[in-house]
Amino acid sequence: MSSVIAVRDLAKTYRTPFRRKKVEALRGVSFTVERGEVFGFLGPNGAGKTTTIRCLMGLCAITGGSAEILGAPVPSRAARQRLGFLPEQPYFYDYLTVGELLDLGGRLFGLSRADRKRKADALIDRVGLGHARSQALKKFSKGMLQRAGLALALVNDPELIVLDEPMSGLDPIGRKEVRDLILEQRDAGRSVFFSSHILSDVESICDRVAICIGGIIKDVGRPRDLVDATPHGTEVLLRLADDAPVAVVEALSARAQTARRSPGQLLLTLPAGTDVDELVAFAREQDARLIAVTPRHETLEDVFLRRVEDAKP
Amino acid sequence: MTASIGRMWAIALNTFREAARIRVLYGILILVVGANLLAIVLGEMSISQSARVARDIGLAGISLFGALTAIYLGVALLYGEIQRRTIYAIISKPLARWEFVVGKYAGMALVLSALVGLFAGAMLALLGLQDVAITAAVGQAIALAWMEVLVVAATAVFFSSFSSPFLSGIFTLALWAIGRVTPELRAAASQSEAAWIRSTAKVALNIVPDLHLFSISGSAVDGSVVSVHGSFVSWGYVSVAAAHGALWIAALLVAACAIFRKRDFV
Repeated sequence: MSSVIAVRDLAKTYRTPFRRKKVEALRGVSFTVERGEVFGFLGPNGAGKTTTIRCLMGLCAITGGSAEILGAPVPSRAARQRLGFLPEQPYFYDYLTVGELLDLGGRLFGLSRADRKRKADALIDRVGLGHARSQALKKFSKGMLQRAGLALALVNDPELIVLDEPMSGLDPIGRKEVRDLILEQRDAGRSVFFSSHILSDVESICDRVAICIGGIIKDVGRPRDLVDATPHGTEVLLRLADDAPVAVVEALSARAQTARRSPGQLLLTLPAGTDVDELVAFAREQDARLIAVTPRHETLEDVFLRRVEDAKP
Repeated sequence: MTASIGRMWAIALNTFREAARIRVLYGILILVVGANLLAIVLGEMSISQSARVARDIGLAGISLFGALTAIYLGVALLYGEIQRRTIYAIISKPLARWEFVVGKYAGMALVLSALVGLFAGAMLALLGLQDVAITAAVGQAIALAWMEVLVVAATAVFFSSFSSPFLSGIFTLALWAIGRVTPELRAAASQSEAAWIRSTAKVALNIVPDLHLFSISGSAVDGSVVSVHGSFVSWGYVSVAAAHGALWIAALLVAACAIFRKRDFV
C-alpha cells in the first residue's frame, strides 16, 4: 500500500496575539495513512487534531517537520485538487442554497457546468438534503450543514477525504449516516482520514487509529492491536429478588471490584484472577441465580483514557 | 491561466451575490437618490444656479457614498470570510490565496461599479428631468469618481488583509481623507522651515494614493482651473488618471496578496 498522508515530526508553534507567548500546538506528530484505509485521529480537546488537519490543508503554516498529501509536500494545490475536506463545525455562505454551494465548489475544482449540475443533484440526494434543495443554508440545522459540508467534500470525486470531527453535534441517526458514508467511500476505494473523540464510532469503522495527546502521537495502529487482548476481569450478572436481604447484597458486593444494583439484578465486576466459580457457588447459596458471566476485555476507550491519564503531569 | 481566471470568477461571482444581499447598500442607494432630489430643491432656491447645484450635489453624492461603500465592502467582505470561518472550506480547495484576494476584489469592484452606475443613472435621470444639459464633463467626472471608488476599495482590501475591520476602516478612511487633499498638504509641507518635515511629508505623500486626481473639478490643471460646469479635463487626462488608479490598485492588491499568503487560519 502507498501512503496518501505522510506526516513526519510535524510541529506547529503559535505566538499569542498580544503577549507574543509561544504556544506549542504540535510537538512532533508522525503517522501515515495508507491508500484505501479509514484512519481515525483521536485525541481529547486541545490535543492538536484540528491544528494537524489545518496544517495538512494548508490553512496554517508548518513550523517544523514535514507533511505530504498524495505524494506532494504540503501545501500543495495539486494535492488539494484530489482531496475533499470537511472543516470542523462547517460554516458556509448562509445566503446560498446547497445546490449553489456545490456549484461554487465545483467551479473551484474547474468542473464543467454539466458536471457541476449532475454532481450537485446526485450528492444532494446522497446526503439526504433533497427536501431542502431550494432552502438557504441559513435555515439549515447543524446536522443539515454537516451533510452539506460532506457533499461539498465529495464534489470532486476525491481520492482522499479529510473530515474534521464529522460526527460532532449529530444525533445517533446522523452519526450512523456519516459512518455509513465513510464506509461507502472506503468501499469505493477512497481513503478517509477523520478526527473524532466519539470512540465507539472510531472503533467500529477505522482500519487504523492514531491517538494524539498534547501535540504528540501516543499510539498508532489497528484498534485491535492497541488494546490488550487478555481478559481484564469478569462481569457476573445475577438475578436477585427485589426483597433480598441487604446483608446478602452486601456480602456479594464485597467480593467484587464494583457492584451495580438494578431492579431484580445485580451486576458484579471482578478483577482478573478472581475465582468466578467460587463467587457463583456463593451466590447460589444466597438464592441468587446466574444470568451471565462475561470476560471483560480492554476497549479503545480504556486505551484512550489510560493514555490521557498517563499524559497528565 | 484559464483555470485560474475561472476560480477567481467563481469567488467574484459569489462575492457579488453576497454583497447584493447587504441591505445597507440599498439604504445608501436611497440616500443618493435623496441627495439628488435635495439638489433639485436647493437648485430651485438658488436663482440661475439650479444646474450647477444639481451637478455638484449629484457628483459629490457619487464620490462620497461610493467611497464610503467601498470602505464598508472592502473591510467587511474579506475579513468576514475569516471571522465567519467560511474561508476554511474555500481555501482548502485548489485555489491560490492570491486568486482568492483578487477574486474577492473583483467581486467588490463589480458591486461598486453597479452601484456607481445606479448612482450615476439616478443623477442623470434627475438632471434630465430638470432639463440640465448633460455634458461630456459630467461623464468624465463620473468616470473619475468610479476610478476613485475602485482605488478606495483596494486600499480597504489591503488593510483588511492583516487588521481588524475597525482598524481597516479607520486606516482606509484616513488615507481617503489625506489622498483627497494631497496638493494642499504638499503646499503646506513645502512652506515648512524644518527640512525633516518637508522630507517626511514628501515620502508620506508618495505612499498615499493621490485621490485628488479623481476629484479635480475646481482645481488647476496645467495652469488653468478646470470645472465640471465649464472647461473640464480632456479624455486624455481621464485615461492618465485611470492608469494611475490602476497602478495603485495593482500595487495594493499585490501587497494584500503577499500578506494574505502568510496568514495562518487557526
